[in-house]
Amino acid sequence: MGKLLNSRAFAISTGVFTVVGVFVLLEVLLRIGAINKYIVPLPSQVIMSLERIIFEENIMSRVAETAYEMSVSCAAVIVIGVPIGAVLYKWVALRRAVLDWVAAMAAAPLVLAFPLFLVMFGRSSTTIIVMSVITGLAPIIIKTTEGLLAVRPVLINVGKSLKLTQQQMFWKILLPAAMPTIFSGIRLSWTFVLISVVGIEFLINLGGLGQLINDLAERYDLPGTYASIGFVIVVSVIFFVLLERVETWLRPVK
Amino acid sequence: MAASGEIRTATMGFRAKPNSMARQTNIIRIAIVLIIAVSWEALSRSGLVFKDVVPSLFSIGAAIGKLLTLPAFYANLQVTAWEIFLSLAIGSSLGIFVGILLGSNRFMSFAYEHYVYYLAPTPRIIFFPVMIMWFGVGIASKIALGALSCFFTVALSTAGGMREIDKVLIRVGKSFRATPMQMGLKIYLPAMRVPVLNGIRLGFGTATVTCLLAETKLSNQGLGYMIMQIYSRFDMPSLYGLLIIVFVVAGIGNLILGKVTGTSA
Amino acid sequence: MTEASSAATVASATQPQLVIDNVFKQFGEGPGAVIAVDNVSFDVKPGEFVSVIGPSGCGKSTLFNIIGGLLDEYSGNVMIERERIAGPHKAVGMVFQEESTFPWRSVMDNVAFPLELQGVAKSERLDRAAHFIDLVGLKGFEKRMPFELSGGMRQRVSIARTLVSGPQILLMDEPFAALDEQTRLLLGDKITQIQQELHQTTLLITHNLTEAVQLSDRIVVMTYRPGKVKRVVNIDLPRPRTSDVVSSDAFGHYVAEIWADLREEASRGMQDSENMQRGRARRG
Repeated sequence: MGKLLNSRAFAISTGVFTVVGVFVLLEVLLRIGAINKYIVPLPSQVIMSLERIIFEENIMSRVAETAYEMSVSCAAVIVIGVPIGAVLYKWVALRRAVLDWVAAMAAAPLVLAFPLFLVMFGRSSTTIIVMSVITGLAPIIIKTTEGLLAVRPVLINVGKSLKLTQQQMFWKILLPAAMPTIFSGIRLSWTFVLISVVGIEFLINLGGLGQLINDLAERYDLPGTYASIGFVIVVSVIFFVLLERVETWLRPVK
Repeated sequence: MAASGEIRTATMGFRAKPNSMARQTNIIRIAIVLIIAVSWEALSRSGLVFKDVVPSLFSIGAAIGKLLTLPAFYANLQVTAWEIFLSLAIGSSLGIFVGILLGSNRFMSFAYEHYVYYLAPTPRIIFFPVMIMWFGVGIASKIALGALSCFFTVALSTAGGMREIDKVLIRVGKSFRATPMQMGLKIYLPAMRVPVLNGIRLGFGTATVTCLLAETKLSNQGLGYMIMQIYSRFDMPSLYGLLIIVFVVAGIGNLILGKVTGTSA
Repeated sequence: MTEASSAATVASATQPQLVIDNVFKQFGEGPGAVIAVDNVSFDVKPGEFVSVIGPSGCGKSTLFNIIGGLLDEYSGNVMIERERIAGPHKAVGMVFQEESTFPWRSVMDNVAFPLELQGVAKSERLDRAAHFIDLVGLKGFEKRMPFELSGGMRQRVSIARTLVSGPQILLMDEPFAALDEQTRLLLGDKITQIQQELHQTTLLITHNLTEAVQLSDRIVVMTYRPGKVKRVVNIDLPRPRTSDVVSSDAFGHYVAEIWADLREEASRGMQDSENMQRGRARRG
């Protein structure tokens, strides 16, 4: 038994069984009327409604819309954030002046400014993209600067001893050495972007997956709402797992 | 080793003039603020952009002044603060409890931690319809959503902190034959203070965003509600003003929490 | 010190390749100033292996940085073929004490790096890099990444990377400091063999006495702070040498002779750092 308890596979399957068990228990409690059916739908109904959601709610075009907003925002975050991070690395006085501000930006509830962009760009993807880029910018700037600052001096000395130009030093030594840290910044930023894109879609009832949840909730389609939330979570988790894979692949050391 | 010793003595001579450096930093900061302010104002007066989008700084200032004298502002602030406080209290307690469970037990960690880990960064706001069904449209649903979002942050930070305790410290405790109670109070608790408090500070951030966003979606009180009210009137100076106030208040909250918990931003 | 260097010049008719002439470096100003290198002079002739040895804190690493051109502000002259160096000189190849392989490049790409900078065509680049990988005994590891190698192997990658650019002078700063004693002796053999094969002019900075005697033709002993040249010792051990030489009588003789000088300096250094700790404890 002790050996079994230490086995990883056993632990993981216990986890899976617990999740399944909770669903079964819910199903039973709902059917005997111990929980109000109008608050929590039957898990079986939720699973059944997945089919309906996928085939009747234009799921592909919704995924495509969210994916479009995500990819524009994610690309913009890198294109804007990494150079700013590099400038802050190079320009010491500026770094001392504004790095604290950038850190404060990362902690501030910036998404709350979405009504402002609603006024500027209307209820459009532009609003979602601009807001998401602003939300996601801080971590990537901070991590880029941090990564460049953490490049070991001896690697820079190797570059100097080989008489590298400033350009070569940046592209051949500083950037690759800082890459793992920069990528962890990208992962953080993209997580922020995902939260913001889906969140604003939901809040302003526009676009892809966020709107799906809102639509179903407003129709008071109980199983549908639960199923769509589940669907969005699965999509987000797949996104995070992929990002993590890339990150560990970039950081092979130990 | 020789090198590091020499460098340490070498830098001693150069460490002069911290004052001039701080002054330079301040000058740059003031310059940046001035440049932004002046170009904002110029843009606002030039008429190049739709005037409502870039209102004059003076009108924003006036709006802030007006908001700060409005009793409704303080009533809404109080509601939101109360929501955040309760979210943080409930979410952190649950988070610490679950975090200790996951952090102290390999089996529990393997069985359940990846669920917490992967759910943590998902967009919490999408659970709001469910929270409304369970807890109604009042503040309870916002508190529940806020608690849910900070639960994940605190739980992961606690579990991680628990595992990162230097194993030597635990061996030292055991070598002195400390009782489990003593181990908890004298070894685990002090060693975990920092990650737990740091988790709570991060949890404050997520609880704040979540509660405010939930208020913008559906509510009849709170700062988020107030923002949407102002938005529906297209009163841009007040919208900017209130957002600035909210960011400043959240920043101060974060700063105070950082000071109290001894963790920095 | 001038005595030492002129004696060395007389001893050999060959023109020195590297001349260190009255080099002086002080950090900081006023009462807190530290003189790291105090009027050091010596030279290295073509094909010669010279070691600079001294206790921790004698300014060895400062001297390394000056000769390597990484530290520009100093007085005196470092001359390579009668030209005062300014910045890293193309004739000098440096090997650093710290781990300095690029973790994002394979062994092959690490070693080929200097050739890549010079714009050497890919096939030639790979050929030349492969030759030096073989020379340092890493044949078969070309495709490995640095994190898959041991510390000793990684240091050999760094050495190959420096050698591939064909430096006239190889400058090494305690390249074996992070390695265990056995690895150090075996790597020493490798270095000796390569140095003889390439007639590589080499200047090694070290605090390890056995290593210095095992490898060098000449040893420059430095004093503890301020770092001056205390003595220059010619090592007349037969070549080709292997690490077996460490068990010979002559070797022991040299070690004992130099240690007598070194001990005095090292104990001064130790006392100094203990005093500093005491001062710090009193203040703190």
